[in-house]
Amino acid sequence: MTTAVVDVDDVTVTLGERPVLDGVDLLVRAGEVVTLLGPNGSGKSTLVRAAIGLVPVQAGTVRLFDTPVDDFRDWHRVGYVPQRTTASSGVPATVREVVAAGRLAQRRPFRPASAEDRAAVDRALDLVGLTDRSDDSVVELSGGQQQRVLIARAAAADPDLLVLDEPNAGIDRRSQEAFAHALRLFVGSGRSVLLVLHELGPLASLVDRGVVLDAGRVVQDGPLPVPSTVAGMPHEHAHDTEPDTRWFG
Amino acid sequence: MSLLSLEFMQRALLAAVLTGLAAPAVGTYLVQRRLALMGDGIGHVALTGVALGLLTGWAPVWTAVIVATAGAVAIELLRERRRASADVALAMLFYGGIAGGVLLVGLAGSSAATLTSYLFGSVTTVSPADLWVIGVLAGIVLVLAIGLRPQLFAVCQDEEFARVTGLPVRAYNLLIAVMAAVTVTMAMRTVGLLLVSALMVVPVATAQQLTRGFHTTLLLALALGVAPSLAGIMFSYYVDVAPGAAIVVIALGGFLVAWPLGTYVRRRRQVSVPGQEAEERLAGEHVTAEQHVHEHDETCGHPAVPHEDHVDYLHEGHLHARHERHYDEH
Repeated sequence: MTTAVVDVDDVTVTLGERPVLDGVDLLVRAGEVVTLLGPNGSGKSTLVRAAIGLVPVQAGTVRLFDTPVDDFRDWHRVGYVPQRTTASSGVPATVREVVAAGRLAQRRPFRPASAEDRAAVDRALDLVGLTDRSDDSVVELSGGQQQRVLIARAAAADPDLLVLDEPNAGIDRRSQEAFAHALRLFVGSGRSVLLVLHELGPLASLVDRGVVLDAGRVVQDGPLPVPSTVAGMPHEHAHDTEPDTRWFG
Repeated sequence: MSLLSLEFMQRALLAAVLTGLAAPAVGTYLVQRRLALMGDGIGHVALTGVALGLLTGWAPVWTAVIVATAGAVAIELLRERRRASADVALAMLFYGGIAGGVLLVGLAGSSAATLTSYLFGSVTTVSPADLWVIGVLAGIVLVLAIGLRPQLFAVCQDEEFARVTGLPVRAYNLLIAVMAAVTVTMAMRTVGLLLVSALMVVPVATAQQLTRGFHTTLLLALALGVAPSLAGIMFSYYVDVAPGAAIVVIALGGFLVAWPLGTYVRRRRQVSVPGQEAEERLAGEHVTAEQHVHEHDETCGHPAVPHEDHVDYLHEGHLHARHERHYDEH
C-alpha cells in the first residue's frame, strides 16, 4: 500500500451557520494527481483549505503525510497556490521577491538566503517560464503571468505535495499551457498534486482521479474517463452534460 | 551654524533622524497590508497614554508606549476577526482614545500648549531622557523591520500562504502592531501623535512611484522619511510653526514631485519585451533541445510523462519529446 499524502476522513466543516462540508472523505496517495470538481459553492475550496489546516474542522480528522494537521510541522513539503486573481499588494514587489517567499519554510529568521534558496527560486522561475521577468514588478504582468508567479512561489519550496485552488480561473491560454507544462514536470518527478478545477482543459491527461463534490458531499470518486479525441473532452460538472470545448476550438 | 550649537536643536534633529527612519520602516508593512490608517488609530489611543502620564506624574513616553501597545494589539485582534462589527469597534476605540486623552489632560491641569506639543510635535521638548528612549526604541524597530524583512513581507503579502509555509502568522501580525505602537510613541515629540501616520505612509507612497521591488521601496522610504524630518525641524525653528505640520507638508511636496516622474518612468518601462524562448516553448512552438548524447526510452532513467498523444522525458528540469531525429522542448 502506498502512503497517504492527504487523508481527510469523515470531515464536517461549518462556516458561520452554514454547513459547507458534510462527512467528506478525501485520499491523495504519494504520486497521485487528484482533482476536485463540482459546481460553485459545492465546497471544493473549503475542502482543500481544510486539508492544509487553513479551515478548522468541526468533526472528522485531517492528516498530512501521516501526521494530524494540527501537529504537522514539515511545511516545506507542501506548496500552496491560493485562489487569487492577482499577486500584488499595497507595495510593489518583484517577481523574484514574491517567489522567494516560498522558501520561508526552509529559512530561519535573521539569516540571509542560502545559495540553495537562491537556486531553488531560479528553478521555480524557470519552471513557469518567467526567468526573464524576475526583476519586474508583479503588477506589470498579465493575470495569467501573476498566477504563474504564485505557482512558482509554491514550487520554490521543492514540495512533495502541490495544492492548487482553481489555478486556471480566468487566465489566458498561454498561461494555461505554461501551467500544464509546469505540472507535467512536477508530476514527472513522482510527486503528488491536489487541485481544484472548474474545467479540466489541458490538464485532463495528467489527472489520475477526480472527486466530484455537490452541496458539501462527495458524489463521485474515481478515474476520469480517458478523452477519446481532443475535441470530445469529457466534462465533469455534476449538473451539466454539455461537452466543453473552450480550450480546443 | 548657530542652530546646530543649540543643545535642544541637536536633540530634536537626532530624534527626527531616528523617527524618520523608524516610521517608514514600519509604514512599509502597514501600506503593504493596506492598513495605512492604522498609525492614525494608534496615535489617537496613545494620547490617552500621554494624558495618563501627565495626570500621574509618570513619564508620558512610557505611559504612552504602554497604552498605545495595548491599543495596537486590540486593533490587530479586531482586524483578525474580520467581523462587520470590527469596523465600528475600531472607530469607537479611536474616538475613545482622543476624547479620553483630552479629558485627562484637562483634569491634569495642563495647558492647551502642552496638548498641542504632543499632537503636532515641538522642537523644544525633546529631553535627554526622551532621546535615550527614542534611540533604543528606534534601534529595536529598525533591527526587526530590516532583519525580519522576508518573514514580515510574506505575512503582509499573503497571510494564508504564509500560514501554509509554517510561519507563526499571528505572532508576526502582533509584532507589526507593537512596532507601530512604539514608533507612534517615539514620534510624538517630532511629528506629533496626529501626524505621525503621515510619516509612516507618505515616504512609502513616494518611494513606490519610482521602484518596482519591495526591498528598494523599503530602503528609499527610509531616506524619504529622514529628509523631510530634518528639513521640517529646521523650518519650524526659523518659522515658529509646529514641526509636525512642516515635516508632513515637505513630505507631501516630495510625493507631488515623484508622482509625475513615476508615471513617466512606468510608461517607458512598458516597451520592454518578455523573454522569447520560454514564452515560445510554453506556447507550443517548436524549440529544439540541446544536443543529446543518448536516446530517451523506457530504460534511459529519465522519468516518462504522458503528454497528449506522445511521451515526454524529464531531463534536468526540462521535458523532452522525440521529434524526427532530435528532441523538442515541451
